[in-house]
Amino acid sequence: MRRPTRGEIRNARAASGFLLPFAALFLLCFVAPIAYALYTSLLKVERSGPLGLGGGAHEVFTGLDNYAQALQDPTFTAGFGRVLLFGLVQVPLMIVLATALALLLEAASARWVGFFRTAFFLPYGVPGVIASILWGFLYVPGISPFVEMAGSVGWDVDFLSRSSVLWAIANIVTWQYAGYNMLVLIAQLKSVPVELYEAARIDGANAWQVARHIKLPLIRPALVLTTVFSIIGTLQLFAEPLVLQPLTNSIDSGYTPNLNAYNEAFKSNNQNVAAAEAVLLALVACALSFGFLRVVGRRGKDGA
Amino acid sequence: MSASGTGPGPRPARRTVLGGAAAAAAGFALAGCGGSEYGEGEPKGRKKGEKITLTFWSWVPGIDQPVALWNSKNPDVRIELEQVSAVNGAQYAKMHAAVKAGNPPDLGQVEYPIVPSFLLDDGLLDLTKYGAAGVKSKFEGWQWQQSVFGDAVFAIPQASGPMGLFLRQDLFDRWEIETPATWDEYEAAAKAIRRKGAWIETFSATNGNRFAGLAWQAGARWFAVDGDTWTVSIDDEPTRRVADYWEALVRQKLIKTVPDRQSVWYKDIQTGAIPAWVGASWGDALLVGNAPKTAGKWRVAPLPQWKKGENASANWGGSTTAVFRGTQYPQDAMDFAVWLNTDPESVKLLIDGGYGWPSAVSGWTDADMENHKEFFGGQDYSKVFQEAGKAVDTSWQWGPATDTLYQRFGDAFTAVLTGGGSFRSVLAKVQRQTVDDLRNKGLKVAAG
Repeated sequence: MRRPTRGEIRNARAASGFLLPFAALFLLCFVAPIAYALYTSLLKVERSGPLGLGGGAHEVFTGLDNYAQALQDPTFTAGFGRVLLFGLVQVPLMIVLATALALLLEAASARWVGFFRTAFFLPYGVPGVIASILWGFLYVPGISPFVEMAGSVGWDVDFLSRSSVLWAIANIVTWQYAGYNMLVLIAQLKSVPVELYEAARIDGANAWQVARHIKLPLIRPALVLTTVFSIIGTLQLFAEPLVLQPLTNSIDSGYTPNLNAYNEAFKSNNQNVAAAEAVLLALVACALSFGFLRVVGRRGKDGA
Repeated sequence: MSASGTGPGPRPARRTVLGGAAAAAAGFALAGCGGSEYGEGEPKGRKKGEKITLTFWSWVPGIDQPVALWNSKNPDVRIELEQVSAVNGAQYAKMHAAVKAGNPPDLGQVEYPIVPSFLLDDGLLDLTKYGAAGVKSKFEGWQWQQSVFGDAVFAIPQASGPMGLFLRQDLFDRWEIETPATWDEYEAAAKAIRRKGAWIETFSATNGNRFAGLAWQAGARWFAVDGDTWTVSIDDEPTRRVADYWEALVRQKLIKTVPDRQSVWYKDIQTGAIPAWVGASWGDALLVGNAPKTAGKWRVAPLPQWKKGENASANWGGSTTAVFRGTQYPQDAMDFAVWLNTDPESVKLLIDGGYGWPSAVSGWTDADMENHKEFFGGQDYSKVFQEAGKAVDTSWQWGPATDTLYQRFGDAFTAVLTGGGSFRSVLAKVQRQTVDDLRNKGLKVAAG
């Protein structure tokens, strides 16, 4: 084995010096909380006496009991079903919309590109809670101008009813993130070499054919990326249902898995079960994102 | 609890309500770092002449005034008031998280129903060592008892919320509807009002607090302790009667099912689309604040009765000032809590803010309670609540996980109102869940 030269040693030292801040923060802010959540999810509190007074409360190891309890909670599992349905509908819709906007703004004939790009991106700058409050006022019957307008033409609409509130939330999320995803796609479009367009034009391709056969295949990585982010974001739905909850009788405490875990932790003050729910949520998010990546990865190779 | 009822006090103006949810979301950030152990050993206490600051979390409107008064009189013990959101129980989420994280405030506003759930956390300080026995006589006996567990006293009572019926007398007169004295008459009134195009009320799925009050009035006793075992009897006869009654109103479409004390409801009480409200004594300030244009048109009547001539009431909300374990200055915190809730000047300021019905037995007069008299057309409406307060069956006991209980009710009623099923199925479900919840908290439980 060759001994490392002095230069190599110095390089390695410099590298570890640069890596240290990241590694420290990564361990502290990412690995440690996850480990703590895992640990907490395996414990439960035992108490003696009617209120566990007099130091009768202590934590004991309980194995996977908390996981069993979480999975047996129909509200929690229903929340999963709900976000999956949400993702199936909202994610493709938003990605298609973002792609369409990106292609339009990057088309050769587009006008006022800067203005529209900013306008579409702007909602992303609005924090999720604020966006939900804004839309909340636009949804609530009796205050919403939309409901009033619909009512004046005889259309009795309730955006916050049990059947429509999920799509009311989908609308908020789409409004917020379509512009952001559009920007990611535009960034990738910008990196497409101009020669390809020229070549296509010389070959007689029209704008539609350029988009279909050059732009779309080349922004595929960005499409995959935005879709994965959207899938994860969907599973983590939290602020929107939390903010809309007091406005309607159709969002329960476990409307999304995240909301369920939040209420379990802080309303019911049951951190152990909440930790188990958070771990389950993370597992599902991993499975879905990597599952999606595998599917598109395989298809990508087939196509190549 | 907001929708589910946040005791006396929480009547945020309509626009701040949504903001509260934002605070709730922010409270989430408190999660994470754990470890609930306080430093062992005695709190250090204040040395003579030492200047200290105590933090106090509350949401009662106008409570900044008595706090400012205290601060001007007690330069050594400054109280730092932090307004917390009372929407959907966000304030308790925050307090539970702080207790868990080991950095709770020194003092907090805690409603009677919630006191036991903080005991499960070992979050509150036993005040007997700091002279609680000496101040006991200053408060209504039964309200004092709400925070007594075993020999320990865990909070200083602040206010209660005897229930009553608020109604728009002008509309009732115009529609020639008598003030309902019984629940049967109330249903008849609901039908008459529906014929006029309005709705007498709303049944809010998430308002477990009021539902508990209605069951309480009907004679239910949801929780009892026998030795170290809790008995849970949510699915009992009186509660079933209440559930059947409100289900009938909902099924006949005689009442709305929108959340109460939220934007839509506020609009409805302003416009007269909802001309009545089964509320509590602290509701006067809420109506005054949110429906100013209806001044002079409201009256207060006793809660409708199950049998004519009976006189049963109940309590909706009601708060304490609790001292959290972990405070370094328990004696000063306790002294402030007692002063806040008994000093005549402080109580006057709290009444003006609309905190509820004073728990202090003296230091205020009936006249103090009439501060919204014009709004109620000159009626001596506080008499109604005073009578109601006397008619509350004070043997009612709260269970150890009321926040969870309200959430269970909220979810179950939400499912029934939007999907289907009977209100009785809600009771059976919540009974079952509550037994499980208590068992999962490591407590001994029996179904009643």
